[in-house]
This record gives sequence, structure tokens and C-alpha cells, in this order.
Amino acid sequence: MRNRLSFYIPRQSLIHDLNPLTKLALVFTFIIVAFSSSWYWLPTILFFFGLVPLSFIGKVGKAFLRTTFRLLLPLFIFLFVMQSLFYPGGVTPLLSLWIFSVKLEGVQFAYLTGTRILVMVSSFLVLLLTTHPSTLMSDLTRRGLPGALAYIITSTLQIIPQMQGKANTIIDAQRSRGLDTEGNLFKRAGALLPLVGPLVFGSLVDVEERAIAIEARAFNAPCKKTSLIEISDTGFETALRWFFLLLMLAAIGSRIWLS
Amino acid sequence: MKLIDSIKKDFNTMTLVLIPVAIAINVVIGQIVVLLRLPVYLDSIGTVLVAVLCGPWAGALTGTLSNIIWGLIIDPNAFPWFPVALFIGFVAGWCAIGGLFKSWWKVVITGILIAFTAAIVSTPIAVYLYGGITASGSSFITAFLLQSGRDLVSAVLSTNFLVEPVDKIATALVAFAIIQGLSTRYISRFPRSENAAQEKGKRSTQLIIAIAVAVVLVVIAATVLVTMLG
Repeated sequence: MRNRLSFYIPRQSLIHDLNPLTKLALVFTFIIVAFSSSWYWLPTILFFFGLVPLSFIGKVGKAFLRTTFRLLLPLFIFLFVMQSLFYPGGVTPLLSLWIFSVKLEGVQFAYLTGTRILVMVSSFLVLLLTTHPSTLMSDLTRRGLPGALAYIITSTLQIIPQMQGKANTIIDAQRSRGLDTEGNLFKRAGALLPLVGPLVFGSLVDVEERAIAIEARAFNAPCKKTSLIEISDTGFETALRWFFLLLMLAAIGSRIWLS
Repeated sequence: MKLIDSIKKDFNTMTLVLIPVAIAINVVIGQIVVLLRLPVYLDSIGTVLVAVLCGPWAGALTGTLSNIIWGLIIDPNAFPWFPVALFIGFVAGWCAIGGLFKSWWKVVITGILIAFTAAIVSTPIAVYLYGGITASGSSFITAFLLQSGRDLVSAVLSTNFLVEPVDKIATALVAFAIIQGLSTRYISRFPRSENAAQEKGKRSTQLIIAIAVAVVLVVIAATVLVTMLG
């Protein structure tokens, strides 16, 4: 099991210094424009001339390309094979093999869907590679996101690696007692409860103590709370966010209007 | 505002502390299942757990945040599927309030109801975002149905109706087993602890009822599917 907390790579760059909300607005603009445009090549252009340069300005270009590739390659192979063979509107055969034939319409549809998903996933990656999740959360809390919500997300990010460690210990312990985790389907299904049981009960026991601990530290106090982390924000970025918002509305509006 | 007050009552400190653990349970059990190469996901056990102990709104929040966290740390492909997780938590919560989480054959019904909800909610996402084909193995069934002349929406919907019940019934049963293993004193700290109180009954009668209910539901599902596909 992977024990990685986030995609974040700490570097000094222009993109890293941007306010998290600006980057979030940028992500949604890319996604909405890619999905609502009726121009076939737009998602491709957005990726190669928008997201790839952005990732290199952020000095995370290599990790960006590698992660995008790793996350999306299986989906793309699947998408192209299935859609090119089985797309319902396919009429123009490109090549035929036995009862299967690759249809032009299917390939075109797979390409459009694929590039849209590419823009969606990779624009989130630009955000996640250059922003630590807890920075994003504390910025959103400062802007009025309920503190409880931010607490849930940041503490989850801390609990998951702990629990993965615990899970690995339990798996090793049960294996050394002879638990079969590699036999046939029924044996593997039977191994589920001995692994899940200790993990879940062990973690749930901590819940009560933690509740008492945060209540004792005025978690439910109704006053305004201050933050330890300072996050930069400039007037230029506020303007930029308004521009992104207009762009999103324009994209959605043109979609409704033209179709 | 009665509704808002009742929602607020569901979010006490125990709920807020349970939700992160539940999300971690979703993620880590999801990974254990991958490790054991089981043909299910079981990635919403924690969501169902919160939904039963803390109500439908807390369940819906847990589901939504699970997908956001999954997207933040493992795969951004998870973001667009958050409505599915949201409705899983929501429906599980209402099932539990309706008393469908008190004995194991009722839990099977909860599982089926969750599965149908998940099937319906995930269909438009799969169709409009991914063109019907996602990276999971069940897309072979979709492709087969497309090839035999079905339209895209009904092909995806019937694939989901075939695949979801097994996963969601197993999810509900594991969540039930976990709740049965917790002490009454511990459960009583949560806002909707009364949902988890177990009914007493004879094993054999329960089994007969369970089989009867399962048969009736399968027949209903089959008729719905057949009429839907023409």
C-alpha cells in the first residue's frame, strides 16, 4: 500500500505563490470550458498550451506529466478500444477484423471524451502538485468555510497514513498466524473480516478520546478564530478570479445558447 | 426551523470526530479489498457506518468528503463521482431511521436500496462525463449491451443494476457486523444510537424472511429491467 499523504511537491515558483482560491478558480474554469465548448480540438489545446506550460512554470512539469500518464493511461486504453468498437453511432468502418470493426465515429468520440477527462484530471493535478491540502483548507476557512469542515478534511489527511500503517501491521500479523490472503476467491473473501475487524475497532476506540480532547480545547466556541498560517492574496488575484468567473459563465452561457 | 435544528443535533462533537475516521476506513478498506483481489469495491463502509450512527445528513457529508479526499490524495478521477457517495450516505441514513438496520435480513434490504440509488445516480455521470465507458471491468457488460443494440443510457443503467447490489449488500453487512461489535455504551454517545439497537428474533425465521425478501426484490428488479429494456 502506498503511504503518501498528497501530491504536493514543495518548490519556489510563481504558481506555488498564487493564492489557493485563485488556483481553484483556474481549475474550474479549465474544466467548465473544456466540457462546454463545442469546438472539437479545444480540450487538446487547453492541455498542451494551458496546463502543460503552467505545470512547467510551477517547476513540477515532470511530475505532472508522469502522474497524468500513470492515472489516465489505463482509462484511455479502455476508452479507445471500447468506444472505437462499440460506439452506437458508428457507421464508417476504418478496419475490420473478424466480427469487430473499428469505426471512425467511435475513435472521434473517444478522443473528445479522453481529452476532456485529461483536462479535468490534469488541471486538478496542477492545483494539487503546487498546493498543500491544508493550505487550501485554511485559506477556505478564512473565507468563511465552516471550521468543522476544514477540521474533518485536514484530520482525515493525518489519519489515513496512520491507518495504512496499522493495516500493514495487521496484515503481516494475520499472515504470520497463517491467514490465507492469496488462495481462491472464498479464502480471500474470508480473510476480509480478520483484517478489517481489528483495524476498524482499534480506530473507533480513539474517536471518543479525541472528541473529549478537542472539546476541552474550545473547538465548539462560537468566537472568530485566528490562523497560524499566513496566505498571500493580492488585488490582482481578486481581479483574476472575477475574470475566471466571467469566463466560466460565458462558457456555460454559450453552451446553452448555441445548442 | 425544525429541519435545521434536527440537522444540527446530528452534528455533535462525536460525529465530527467519527467522520474523519470513517473516511479513512473507506479509503483503507478500499485498498485492502484491492490487495485481496476481491471482485467488489467496499469503499463506502465508513459512509454507511456514519449514516447509521449519526443520521442521513452526516452520512451524505461523509460520502461527499470521501470522494474529495480520494481525489486529493489518490486519483482526481474520483471528484466527479461525489454525488453517488452523497446519496449512498443519505439513503443509508434514512433506511436506518426507518428501522432497516436492526437485524441482518433488513440490512440486506438496505443494501439493495443503496445499490439501486447508486446505480441511478452514477448513470448520468458515466454517460455524460465518460461516454458510458469507465475504467472498471463492468464496462465489458456495457459494451456487450451496446453491441446488442441498446441505447447508451439503458446499457449503462442495466450494467449498474447488475453490478451494484453485490457490492452494496456486502458493504451494508460489513457495516452491520462492525456496529454489532461495538459496545452499547460507546454507541450511545452518537446522536442516532437508537438506529443500531438490535432486534431479537429466531435465526431460522429470519433466514426464511431474508430469502423471501431477496427473491421478491430480485423478481421486481428483473421485471423493471425487462420493461425498461423493452
